[in-house]
Amino acid sequence: MATTKGKLKSLSNRYYNEGLEKAGIRDMSGAIESLRQSLKLDKYNINARNLLGLVYYETGEVVPALSEWVISKNLQPEDNAADYYMDSVRNSPSHLENVNQTIKKFNIALNYCHQDSLDLAVIQLKKVLSLNPGFIKAHLLLALLYLKNGNWDRAKIECQKALKLDTGNVMAKRYLKEADSMLLPGESGKLVSDVAASESDDVIRYNSGNEMIIQPVKKSAITRSNSIWGIVLGIVLGVAVACFLILPQRIQNINGSNQEKIAQISEESDAKSAQIVSYEQQVKSLQEEIDKLSTQVTDYEGVDSTSAAMNSLMKAVNIYMEEPSDIEGMAEAMAGLDLDAISGDVSPEFKSLYDYLMTKVGPKLADSYYNTGYDAFKKEDYELAITNLSKAYQYDNTNVNTLYYLGNAYYSSGDIDKAKEIYDAVITNFPDTQSAQAAETKLAEINNSNG
Amino acid sequence: MLNFEEELKKFRPSLEIEDAEEIIYNQDIDDMSDVLVKLLKEAKDESDSTKRNK
Repeated sequence: MATTKGKLKSLSNRYYNEGLEKAGIRDMSGAIESLRQSLKLDKYNINARNLLGLVYYETGEVVPALSEWVISKNLQPEDNAADYYMDSVRNSPSHLENVNQTIKKFNIALNYCHQDSLDLAVIQLKKVLSLNPGFIKAHLLLALLYLKNGNWDRAKIECQKALKLDTGNVMAKRYLKEADSMLLPGESGKLVSDVAASESDDVIRYNSGNEMIIQPVKKSAITRSNSIWGIVLGIVLGVAVACFLILPQRIQNINGSNQEKIAQISEESDAKSAQIVSYEQQVKSLQEEIDKLSTQVTDYEGVDSTSAAMNSLMKAVNIYMEEPSDIEGMAEAMAGLDLDAISGDVSPEFKSLYDYLMTKVGPKLADSYYNTGYDAFKKEDYELAITNLSKAYQYDNTNVNTLYYLGNAYYSSGDIDKAKEIYDAVITNFPDTQSAQAAETKLAEINNSNG
Repeated sequence: MLNFEEELKKFRPSLEIEDAEEIIYNQDIDDMSDVLVKLLKEAKDESDSTKRNK
């Protein structure tokens, strides 16, 4: 039995060495086969079991790898390299989780295949390989799907990737042979699908070894100029479409909106015009009312001034009756009485009484005012002189000196127009007098100075 | 020409981490020695039973 056991161990080691050699040249399938054989002969061949775990791990099969290492650890708890491998996996849980996710996705993709959802399976497998490019089974299943869809070039690429990871993979070799058989005969390296695609594209793609070469197609100047003419024609057509189809519609829309705005503004304008007319009518009626009230006010003022004039006259008559020589008192009483201003409003009785009083005291009043005015003129107080001389002429319009000095007072005060008017009155009313001659002289001076 | 359906049958679902414990417990790790021991035991049992019958 001992001899038999030794032979089994020896044979197991031979298979282990074979497996080790195959793993060294990345013949993973062969290595797995040899190592499993080795373990069938001697389950205690720890090196073979650990190496088998490593090979599984390398092909993307993590769970079988862990399983081998755990068994290895159980069979030889001390001085076992499986400890190191398991620790390495445990120390990177994110990587382990990532690998587990790729396994789950692979299983989903396989389910899609069984459900005949091949497009979804392809998408899923591409995700799996983007996460774990060393997953040989995923490469092989994807290659099979590409073969099924007629994507020979892609199938070939996947097979080549799988063979790069596992040089002895029989399935990959079979798929590669199938893909190669679909290549165009006589065109080495060029693929059927590439040729079909290159007929319409601007590039030619072909495989050289494991590399895909994408080569742009050289075009002549005529071909390029055709492209430019095509672009120019496209632009012209675009502009024409814009001019004949889009622009009229836009213009019509803008015109429509403008007309709506104009109509709205017109309505507002009409409403405002009507409002303005209404306001104008109101202004007119108010103006009429103002005029009417102004007339009433003037009437009342006339009544007031007439009343005041009557009072002034009564007072003056009363003074005359009590003291006929009190000329100053009568002058004071008559000071506010302007007969010219109230001439239209007074009664004949008032006029008669006024005339009577004037015949009695008028010349005396005139003398009094004349003296005061003349003194003021001499003192160059022309304003007082004009006031008093005007009163004096009002009570006695026969005194040429009164009128002449009144003209002089106006002249000296600077009121030339009024002065000319007064001098004219002197010349007209008192011709052939010295004052008239003097007035003419003054007028000549005024005219000369103006000329 | 490959038969897609037949080829697809060759693909088995990959084992997930959650299934590891079950796989380890159920794995048959018997080697050639174990098989020989069983054979010898069976042969011995058979010989003993023959002797008893005689």
